[in-house]
Amino acid sequence: MKTFSKYWSIFQITLINSLAYPGELIGRSLMIIPFMWIFYQLWKVTFSAAGADVISGLSLRDTLWYLMLAETIELSRPPIARTMSESVKDGSIAYILNKPYDFLWYQFSTAMGETIFRAMLTAVFGGLTVWLLVGAPNHAEGFLIALPAVLGAWILHFCFNAMIGLSAFAVEDVSAFTWIYQKLAFIFGGLLIPLDFYPQWLQVIAKALPFASAIYGPARLFVTPSLGMFINVMSLQLIWIVVLSFTLTVVYRSGIKQLTVNGG
Amino acid sequence: MNNIKFLFAIWKANLQSAMEYRISFISQMIGMMANNFIYFAIWIIFFDRFKDVRGWGVNDMYVTFGILASAFGLVSVFFGNAFMLSDIIANGRLDYYLSMPKPVLLHTVSSRMISSGMGDFAYGFISYALSGYFTWNGLARYVLAMLLAATVFAAFLILTQSLAFWFGTMSNFSNLVLNAMLTFGIYPITLFDNYAKVILFTIIPAALMGSVPAEFIREFTWQSLSQLLIGAIGFLGLAIFVFRKGLRRYESGSAIQIEV
Repeated sequence: MKTFSKYWSIFQITLINSLAYPGELIGRSLMIIPFMWIFYQLWKVTFSAAGADVISGLSLRDTLWYLMLAETIELSRPPIARTMSESVKDGSIAYILNKPYDFLWYQFSTAMGETIFRAMLTAVFGGLTVWLLVGAPNHAEGFLIALPAVLGAWILHFCFNAMIGLSAFAVEDVSAFTWIYQKLAFIFGGLLIPLDFYPQWLQVIAKALPFASAIYGPARLFVTPSLGMFINVMSLQLIWIVVLSFTLTVVYRSGIKQLTVNGG
Repeated sequence: MNNIKFLFAIWKANLQSAMEYRISFISQMIGMMANNFIYFAIWIIFFDRFKDVRGWGVNDMYVTFGILASAFGLVSVFFGNAFMLSDIIANGRLDYYLSMPKPVLLHTVSSRMISSGMGDFAYGFISYALSGYFTWNGLARYVLAMLLAATVFAAFLILTQSLAFWFGTMSNFSNLVLNAMLTFGIYPITLFDNYAKVILFTIIPAALMGSVPAEFIREFTWQSLSQLLIGAIGFLGLAIFVFRKGLRRYESGSAIQIEV
């Protein structure tokens, strides 16, 4: 218990720090507004052209609220890969490694501390925009039901990004990996188009990958909540969290053996 | 003429500096091309399902996405500091450029190359080649449209980031409008109603970076050419005017800085 209390303290400190610059926090969160507005334009025209109120089980309103939560998850996560790769490249990782805490748990605690308020504000701005454009969500309770899945999504994103950041042990620059990961998450996670609108064969592939658990699962649970879907989304997330956190630990342990810190 | 020689000298130095980390340079270039290809798959999936958005199909999107990527890449490679002009102003880093006997704005924005921009630049041409609209005449129009769209984009960056002369650090605002410009730029113009179109030609001139150049490339019309020319000249003139106006308010940070 004592072990986790120090990570809880790190989380709290970062959380409070994230409030130190409210202008910065609000400015970043406002980015969701133009995204939601353009999604509304695109999907309004698309639903109208299809001549249907519901496409693959989603109405225009569901689609917009789905995209709002998906964008909130994406826009609120901090640039962990860049932070970690910078600390590996400039050697500042040495200052964290000699402290009495685990490097990965430290990074996770700070990442979560940076995420919470950013996510809350992004959801507020995004939610207000969508509310004004298409009205309230059909299942307001879906927001509470989807919360554990949103937390799981951030853990999955952390695992992926930490692995990319740690690849700085082996390569000079990790930005290319970051871009490609982000775009794979866009496509297989259903960030810009709900996976339900994909061709059947691609849906099968996408839903079997962890990206879907990181974006599609929570967002779909939010708009069409049910016990069956909750169990399905959470159990898939749990499997991927176990697999990816194990892989991350292996990558970290093998990377740390290659680390050479010169001077002080 | 002197300024052109000066620009080429800076670009050469930027390239040599980027090539010092050759693997990083190549990985960023290839990574950005792969990134764009994967990103475009979204539109392939979308049009596979919905076929058409008010007259725009996937082939039109290849051209739009391509021209936007090339224009973005061109500005990133040759005028990379345009993306961080507000930070340079707010942190007092213009001192260095003011002390040099060269045009301040030109020197500042051209002093940095963003290596990944090479990937965007090259990807745009491939995207156009894959669009099904490729002709040699079209390629000439593509190059002209890219230069004009890049001028609009660079001018837009200078214009919005120069507001830092009045409001100080504004990286959030700069990021917001940059994201809005790129996001709106890759969507079909036919999605928007007339009010939105006015915004996309003026406040956030994304139409002049995406859909209008794309129309011009597909088929020559005097209307689209004049829109691009007026947009490029107008925005560039406005950007230079606002930068110069702001420069009079600039106060040195008196900090010791080294520009690398």
